[in-house]
Amino acid sequence: MTDRSAAQYAPADGAREIAVRASHVSMDFGGGVLAVDDASFELEKGRFLTILGPSGSGKTTLLRMIAGFQKQTAGEITINGKAVGAAPPHRRSIGMVFQRLALFPHMTAAENVAFPLKMRRFDPRTIPDRVNGFLELVKLGGYGNRRINELSGGQQQRVAIARALVFEPDLLLLDEPLAALDVKLREEMQLEFRRIQHELGVTTINVTHDQREALVVSDDIIVMDGGRIQQHAKPVELYRAPTNPFVAGFLGLSSFVEGKATADGDLQSGDLKVLGVSAGDVTEGVPVIAAIRAEQIRLARSAPALGACEMQLDATVIDTIFEGERQMYIVEAASLPGTTFRVYHHDPEGFGLFDIGDPVAIGWNRRDLKIFRHAAE
Amino acid sequence: MDALNRTLDIVWPARMMPYTGWALLMPALLLVGLLVLGLFQMADSSLHTLDRSTFLPSENYTLENYRTVVENATYGKIIWRSVLGAVLTVFFTLLLALPYSYIMVRTSSSAVRKVLLVTLFLPFFIGQVVRAYGLLIILGTTGVANNALGLVGVEPIRLLFNFPAVVFGLVQYMLPFAVLMLAPALTAIPRETETAAASLGANWLQSFRHVVIPMAKPGLIGAGLVVGTLALTDFAMPAMLGGGSQDFIANAIYDQFFRTADQGLGAALALMLVVLGSVFVAIVISIFGAGTLGMGGKK
Ligand SMILES: Nc1ncnc2c1ncn2[C@@H]1O[C@H](COP(=O)(O)OP(=O)(O)OP(=O)(O)O)[C@@H](O)[C@H]1O
Ligand SMILES: [Mg+2]
Repeated sequence: MTDRSAAQYAPADGAREIAVRASHVSMDFGGGVLAVDDASFELEKGRFLTILGPSGSGKTTLLRMIAGFQKQTAGEITINGKAVGAAPPHRRSIGMVFQRLALFPHMTAAENVAFPLKMRRFDPRTIPDRVNGFLELVKLGGYGNRRINELSGGQQQRVAIARALVFEPDLLLLDEPLAALDVKLREEMQLEFRRIQHELGVTTINVTHDQREALVVSDDIIVMDGGRIQQHAKPVELYRAPTNPFVAGFLGLSSFVEGKATADGDLQSGDLKVLGVSAGDVTEGVPVIAAIRAEQIRLARSAPALGACEMQLDATVIDTIFEGERQMYIVEAASLPGTTFRVYHHDPEGFGLFDIGDPVAIGWNRRDLKIFRHAAE
Repeated sequence: MDALNRTLDIVWPARMMPYTGWALLMPALLLVGLLVLGLFQMADSSLHTLDRSTFLPSENYTLENYRTVVENATYGKIIWRSVLGAVLTVFFTLLLALPYSYIMVRTSSSAVRKVLLVTLFLPFFIGQVVRAYGLLIILGTTGVANNALGLVGVEPIRLLFNFPAVVFGLVQYMLPFAVLMLAPALTAIPRETETAAASLGANWLQSFRHVVIPMAKPGLIGAGLVVGTLALTDFAMPAMLGGGSQDFIANAIYDQFFRTADQGLGAALALMLVVLGSVFVAIVISIFGAGTLGMGGKK
């Protein structure tokens, strides 16, 4: 359970401003299970944070507490130094895009975008220009007079974003607003989020269970599971250096090996010593679980063809799965009975090199296998 | 299952399928047809005056009855009173029903919801006449209302047998109908939409005015139509709470049919009522458009 504070991302001169700070925040809906369990993090001004986790991990609950729609049962959340909940919702400066968008169906796109400006008493003479400006920003110039039901899903999405941003809130919150879109449109909107966020520099917190979305759009990612923050890091770091098996398994595709830790930090399974690096406090003899990603395992007809690999094993192909841009093989190592490895193999020309039952060799570099203390301990 | 299908094939062969819709419409068409027939008969009798010497309708056709309705100040007053009563009833009923159904739909406590539902339905089960009697007792000079006023030192006042009493009774009678029609319309508004309005800077009043009411418009119009037509044609409340001094059109029709036995005049009044009701519905629909009622078509 590493709780990285935002401190490590501080620019060299140390001048950073914290926009959102959560300290030891918990939410108990009753019944003893905490929907959010002792969550602490800091978010710097202007950055894009994604809260990533499986269904029911407490993402929405955490976001609603930040928005002030729900009061946490323990801990404190501040936005720009002021405690959330000090002001009623309509006085706060938070733009939110909801999972089901919550656009006003009886208004046009432009009226939707103008709504927060009217409610917040912007100078009426400036409203039309401002509305048009933000409709342009989300590439909906000329669509202002359309009713909401005359817009496509992606266009409605854009109206919702424009509406949440038009009053220049201190903070933008996104609760899985892309979940309902098809894959192509979703990927397009992810890049769109990034562009708009960079253009305006608004501090943003996004909630999703889509790991790809998190990696693509975010400056920082918080991975949640069972109400707890599992890891808080930059996308690359999170992917390359997971600090616990949950994160290793949740992002990307990993294979796991169980065993006991050796004196020099490797993993012992039966007679076999599996080479890897240990993450966190792993001492000799403790039960450990190791994870390695599918793209970090090499696969070849025989051991010599693997090239330089610190760890090499003989294995048999159990299954082959064609995924379009690559082939996935499921293989079982002879010396690790009961353990299967999932391996990506890029073969741009062929039609699948190996068949089920073929003897193969697999290998990896020591630094790519991460060894964690077994969660049960 | 197979046997069932075979029987069905004989009773209603596949080539009849395109007409299934019409077949299902038949009962409704029959019912409406009967009503239309009745209307024609009414129209016919409205064109004969009552011969006071023989107490039989006149032989020849005449517009005399309509002239009476239009020219007689009493009927003008009755029609005006009915229309005003209906409009006021719609206004006050919706004013009360909207917050009532809103709280009923939105409350997080199921106990509150149940209490509101039971309070709504108890009087509903009792029936209009018994309820009017109840109001007679409550509003009487020695009733609960005047006793309560007496406690704060107000002299007993006449709360009954006047126009406000009739409107009060009608509102009380219509409230459950209006709440029942508004509740689904309000349920259809996602809670998230109101949360969104708040996050965009609307306080609850603004959110109600700019989001809830416009989105509940189909329900409000539907409820208004039902309450309006029911109030316009009501008989019991004006009869009982008005004490004969506050007649609505239905009371006048009753008098013609069952007291003076002037069928012709009664029929003329009845047709006036049909026209009034239709005009009321037509005005509402032309202002708001059938589309808002969920009847398809654009505004
Ligand atoms: N109002 C509530 N009352 C009781 N329990 C709740 C309430 N809201 C959420 N929970 C519980 O809290 C846990 C976390 O819920 P939350 O909605 O935060 O999950 P999530 O991570 O957003 O999931 P998803 O990806 O499915 O939206 C769940 O176990 C849920 O059942
Ligand atoms: Mg959620």
